[in-house]
Amino acid sequence: MQETQKIRMKTVISAILISLLAMLSAACAAGTASNNAEQIHTASGEVFAMDTYMKITCSGQRSEEALEAAIAEIQRLDALLSVSGEESDINAVNTFGKAKISEDTAHIIEKALEISRATNGAFDISIYPIMRLWGFTDSEYRVPQKEELESELEHVGFEKPIFTQDSLELGDAHGIDLGGIAKGFTSDRLMEVFDSYGMVSGCVSLGGNVQCYKRKTDGNLFRCGIAHPMYPDSSVYLGVVEVEDRAVVTSGAYERFFIDESSSKRYHHIIDPKTGYPAESGLSSTTIVSKSGMLADALSTACYVMGLEGSIEYWKEYGEDFDMILMTDDGDIYVTAPLAQSFTSSFHVNIIGE
Amino acid sequence: MRDAAQLSSRIPVNLFRTMKKYKNDLILFGALLMVFFAVIIWNLFTAKPGGFVEVKVDGELITAFPLSNNIEYEINGINNGKNILIVRDGEAWIESASCPDGLCVNMGHIRNTGASVICLPNKVVIEIVGDATDDASVDIEVGQ
Repeated sequence: MQETQKIRMKTVISAILISLLAMLSAACAAGTASNNAEQIHTASGEVFAMDTYMKITCSGQRSEEALEAAIAEIQRLDALLSVSGEESDINAVNTFGKAKISEDTAHIIEKALEISRATNGAFDISIYPIMRLWGFTDSEYRVPQKEELESELEHVGFEKPIFTQDSLELGDAHGIDLGGIAKGFTSDRLMEVFDSYGMVSGCVSLGGNVQCYKRKTDGNLFRCGIAHPMYPDSSVYLGVVEVEDRAVVTSGAYERFFIDESSSKRYHHIIDPKTGYPAESGLSSTTIVSKSGMLADALSTACYVMGLEGSIEYWKEYGEDFDMILMTDDGDIYVTAPLAQSFTSSFHVNIIGE
Repeated sequence: MRDAAQLSSRIPVNLFRTMKKYKNDLILFGALLMVFFAVIIWNLFTAKPGGFVEVKVDGELITAFPLSNNIEYEINGINNGKNILIVRDGEAWIESASCPDGLCVNMGHIRNTGASVICLPNKVVIEIVGDATDDASVDIEVGQ
């Protein structure tokens, strides 16, 4: 009888001890968790640069410093890569025909030429004079004469500028513009800034060009809502894509266009380098998802020019570096197979197989 | 026993005669009944909660809202006509309108793809498009 009571006492005491221990360790864990949470701050800022509105958000112990460094980097690159301004490499090349260029500019030019070659000229930095004729560079829109376009088109071609490691010469080209790739390069650099400041999460939107660093602070993927070309200013999306460590860039005719008063025809800003006219490829929106912001930026324009068939063909050859979400003029959506799992839409979606 | 047997054998004959008299009416009635049930069954299988509500005035697309949102929006119809659109709990409806008949208000709430409410005097159409998605919340917008 006494034996059993002793045993029972022992069990009760050990149970109490174990539960105390459990409570203590739980309290400890909670303590460290809240400590960590206290050290992670989220900083966000906005800046006007590269003719657009930019939003930067980052989280980490030194988020304020990272944000400051990110904004400084944006301003430095804006001055370096814009088509005007004394510090601009591009302005120097366009003005003097030949100029020494910085390492950053050289890196972009190299990548731009590589993409031009691969897309057979659907993306082309030497399109600048044509953009100027249409008035897309200064918002003084007009429809150029056919003859004007034809004579200027002779000076468009990615093989025309002469590029050596630290200098760029216009050659037969009449001007270059990095507008179709500079924002992608900038968001790539911002990811490096976040990395060097030990951020745990971050996201930037450079005028609709989005790039996400790691995941959200709650551990979930970033949910990126892609503008619907028919309802660009509403909160109705073409679909939502969930990503981590990816750039998501969309090109569409709805982004920038003007309506000619005499013919009341609509002209948009994505010019086909082959014709000099706004691309009419049957696509109304092209979205590229890639680890590289630069690739996503340049390819979103190139795919818009190449059309559905051309883009699918291109993806089949180079698809290891990117995925895409395309919408046709009829409103059909096409998404590449590896991305299909992370893409949701209220509209009918076709999957592009491998 | 015999009477009962006679009686029961007489009823089908009467019924048959009556049926013959109204044969065409019965066929029509049966056909209508079948169409009625076919429509109900078709609706049951094809009606899907929609994703968005489109707002059109005089055939032109004005804007659209996800049905997952809660909004109140004043639609500017033609001839300064006004319709108040409400979107709530996955449904859309016209709450009030300046038109004289108020038919659009009486047309009630719509939620399924393809359903619409029309206000003829103001030339306003609201229509449900797309399919509902599980979660419409978004962290960041691309291409806007």
